[in-house]
Amino acid sequence: MSESKKISRRAFLKAATAAGIGGITLGFPMTELAAQQKEKATAQAKPKKKVLGVDVIKIGGQGVTSGAHADYGWQILAGSTLAIEEINAKGGVLGSKLEMKFMDEELKPAVAVKNARYLATDWGAHLLFGVDSSGSAMAVGPILPELDRVCMFVHASTHRLTEELVAGKGIKQIFRISVPVYQESILASHIFKEFPNIKRWAGIHCDYEYGYSTWALFKDTLKKYRPDVEFVSIAWAPFWTMDFSPHIAAVMAANPDAIHATPWAGEGVMLLRQALMLGVFDKIQAWFQCMGGSVDLLEGISREVEGGKFKDKLWATARYIHNYPDTPENKKFVADFRKRWNRLPNYSAETAYSTIYVFKAAVEKTRSLKTDDLIKAIEGMEIMTPGGKRLFRPEDHQAVYDVPGGKIVKDPNYPIPIIGDLKVIPAKTYYRYPPFTPIAIGK
Amino acid sequence: METLAFQGLVGLSLAMYLWLLASGLTIVFGVLGVLNFAHGSLFMLGAYFAFTFYGLWGINFWLAIALSLLAVGVVGYLMERLFLRHIYHLDHAYQLLLTFGFILIFDDAVKIVWGGVAKIPAMPSFFEGTFSVFGRLFPFYNVFIIGSGLLVAVVLWLLFEKTWWGRMVRASASDREMASAIGVNIPTLFTGVFVLGAMLAALGGALGTPVRVVAPGIGAAMIIQAFIITVIGGLGNLKGAFVGAVIVGLLSAYGILLFPVFELFLIFVTMAVVLIVRPKGLFGG
Amino acid sequence: MKKLALLLLVVLLGLLPLFVGKYTLYMTIHIMLLSLFSLGFNLLLGYTGLLSFGQAGFFAVGAYACAKILMAAPSLLLGILGGVAVAGVISLLLGLLSIRHTRIYFSMLTLCFGMMIFSLAWKWRDMTGGDDGLVGIPRAPLEVPGLFSINMTPMENYYYVVLVFTILAVYLFYRIVHSPLGLTLQGIRDSETRAACVGISVRNYRLISFTIAGLYAGLAGALLPPLESTVTPPVAHWSHSAEPVLATLLGGIYTFAGPIVGAALFYILKDIIVRFTEYWLICLGVIVVVLVLGFRGGVVSMFYGKGGQR
Repeated sequence: MSESKKISRRAFLKAATAAGIGGITLGFPMTELAAQQKEKATAQAKPKKKVLGVDVIKIGGQGVTSGAHADYGWQILAGSTLAIEEINAKGGVLGSKLEMKFMDEELKPAVAVKNARYLATDWGAHLLFGVDSSGSAMAVGPILPELDRVCMFVHASTHRLTEELVAGKGIKQIFRISVPVYQESILASHIFKEFPNIKRWAGIHCDYEYGYSTWALFKDTLKKYRPDVEFVSIAWAPFWTMDFSPHIAAVMAANPDAIHATPWAGEGVMLLRQALMLGVFDKIQAWFQCMGGSVDLLEGISREVEGGKFKDKLWATARYIHNYPDTPENKKFVADFRKRWNRLPNYSAETAYSTIYVFKAAVEKTRSLKTDDLIKAIEGMEIMTPGGKRLFRPEDHQAVYDVPGGKIVKDPNYPIPIIGDLKVIPAKTYYRYPPFTPIAIGK
Repeated sequence: METLAFQGLVGLSLAMYLWLLASGLTIVFGVLGVLNFAHGSLFMLGAYFAFTFYGLWGINFWLAIALSLLAVGVVGYLMERLFLRHIYHLDHAYQLLLTFGFILIFDDAVKIVWGGVAKIPAMPSFFEGTFSVFGRLFPFYNVFIIGSGLLVAVVLWLLFEKTWWGRMVRASASDREMASAIGVNIPTLFTGVFVLGAMLAALGGALGTPVRVVAPGIGAAMIIQAFIITVIGGLGNLKGAFVGAVIVGLLSAYGILLFPVFELFLIFVTMAVVLIVRPKGLFGG
Repeated sequence: MKKLALLLLVVLLGLLPLFVGKYTLYMTIHIMLLSLFSLGFNLLLGYTGLLSFGQAGFFAVGAYACAKILMAAPSLLLGILGGVAVAGVISLLLGLLSIRHTRIYFSMLTLCFGMMIFSLAWKWRDMTGGDDGLVGIPRAPLEVPGLFSINMTPMENYYYVVLVFTILAVYLFYRIVHSPLGLTLQGIRDSETRAACVGISVRNYRLISFTIAGLYAGLAGALLPPLESTVTPPVAHWSHSAEPVLATLLGGIYTFAGPIVGAALFYILKDIIVRFTEYWLICLGVIVVVLVLGFRGGVVSMFYGKGGQR
């Protein structure tokens, strides 16, 4: 039952790629920083064919494309496909075209491992990227040395991936382009330490590692700045929770001033709507919906935001927000993505899109597909992406970039709500730094 | 105290979805002797049809519910006539396996038709709002759910105790050959009972659409809870299914409030205790 | 003739690493694990007449126990045998509760117990690592202190370990079902009352059968962590319990080789189906329905021309 799909998206992808090349030329030159400028110039000057010794550079991707969270995997597929179409339309990387095979990880670690093995040892992928679930990331990470491949993680958010596996155990093949749980926990505490009237916090969190670590980090950081704050109640919701009313009723019994919540995707939408039904927004001052800036969630609560049901109290963030930063790169990416897929890009679309360009930059820099060379190329790389300037810290291979938090509001320029009233806090302030101390997760 | 009472109310509304799901499962098993593994999938189909009629096509809420019951009734009719009918004489294992096959089929079928993204339609405006009870705000919709669940319980009781059809069903449940001998058309009756069970599942799914999520897999996720309920209440016993659903609903609600870390276990522990004390369930004969 | 074919198969499997790539080897290991898993399951279904939907629970117990042992004391044999032993104890305990029921009640109970183990794996974070699971399990060397020590880092080496365990376990299984115990179990399956009349303790025999099935599930589970270096809760989920069900149904319930043939077919079929469509579950569902309605004997009995009916 739980095994993988091997070739599943191939047909789809072929069609997609063909359509991209046949259409108008998409894409824009990624503005890379000075360090790479020279490299790139030399690369382009060389004769195009066979610099790398291969006709195609094979990229193996994974995401969840089935079940209730399938939209996240779709976004990864859509983002990376767009980047590959752009790059191939301009002649590929050092004369080699890019080819991708994308597989469903089904949110099951065993499947993700099997896919990774298949992609690396059977299909012959030179580079790997993907996975949505933290469990899958933690399972794929340790086998990368055996597979001798770099894998760029584009969504999985557990801090343990970079803190334990890279900084701790030294698995250099792991990189992560998306911001981990620091975003929804530490950033949130930096925002809300400025609200002196919010003293009583409650949590409604996923009953798995993601929820535990987010809540623990949020509490620890906020307590540091605001010793007067109390954490009055907590409710844990397992996967497949379909009715959050008992959770909401349980935490509201403690009369909190604000609520911090992690359920994501469809579950997040349900949670918010059930909170509305129970009149929560009449009683509290703020609600922080961690990944509320995700496009599928914004689509799901569009009507309620328009109707002002949340009374301007709903806050959120994401790992990339399509209306930030206000740069030409981002505008172009959003416009191209909307043209190509007729939707707004979610954060996993941006991270996947940027991943392909990071790979391109790395291959062009080292002019090789050897894993060791690629690791050196990505370590310390600074690169401009739609989500802003990213730096891959050498210590833990985590990309550092700023993503703000803010209130969910309606904007006439977009079909769905956006995050407005942005609170931009520098990534340096809200990232954790090595040496890492394990997060004490007491429930 | 008021907190506990309020949490109980919330748990009761949770219990009613479970009751709607478990009642159909129980009736079908009690009469046909088939444990329908795919019963949860019929719940899911009910939710998808309701979403389509009401959320997508904008049909009146009540009519949409009725239509989705009808649609799932047709699915149930076909399932019984074309497939289940042929395996009544076989071992239970095969019936479980066949209906398991249907879980796989239905789960993927809804993905093909409706896509993998979760659907969440708007709530009908006349259900919006809350009223104050135990000093807290309780949604009208939950009252409506509790009312519907109780109404179904009463209707089912009347149906089986007071009508000619119900008596026939009960007769054939206790002795199939005898019922057949006194002129009950067993095959038609079985089809009818299966369709009734399917429609009950669909009702649970359809009533949940405005407030819950509609996604592939919600049926398979619910069926385990329905099984636990029937194990606690006693397999094939309608009263047991009702009591079991209320127990499980209240346990979850109070578990979340009082033992947030062990909520999930509370239900399994209860099941194990019931099994040790009363192996056939609370109301099992 | 039959013996010759068997010998040929064993030799072929023994030489496999010389011909095929890493991925095929990896998949072959998985087929062997599912074979062991299904064999045990079929002792319950085919030979004892009990359909368990919770075998993944015992698989998971074996896997987690083996992983914990390997992380504490890196000896492959200790990990595998320890995993099997713990799975055996747990299946004996849950068996005591489950075998009081038969037929549908038994199926539901095992399903619920399996899910109980799943929630344990999910929630007992200190022990199991929660949903992230246990990470970084070493593929410890195969060693008996003072005698020998074989490095297991190359997958080929580990493949041979799994192969040897599989051959031994299959042979043992053959002996079990052809022993008086196996015949008694079949007697109980065919008529419980008749068996009880001749003085057989039906419950005890069912409990033995349940425990052996648990041991086989545990063995399959214990062989997993050294391969994957991770164990996560989905191995205990009921959708994993369905795998031996499908494999056995596919291969044939009332034949010795059915579950093994089915396990291989299950992986091969899936490999073929997923090449054409991402909706492979629906295909699997249709196969199940067709098998139940028309070919209840499975592939193996079709081959022998026995037809599907029992």
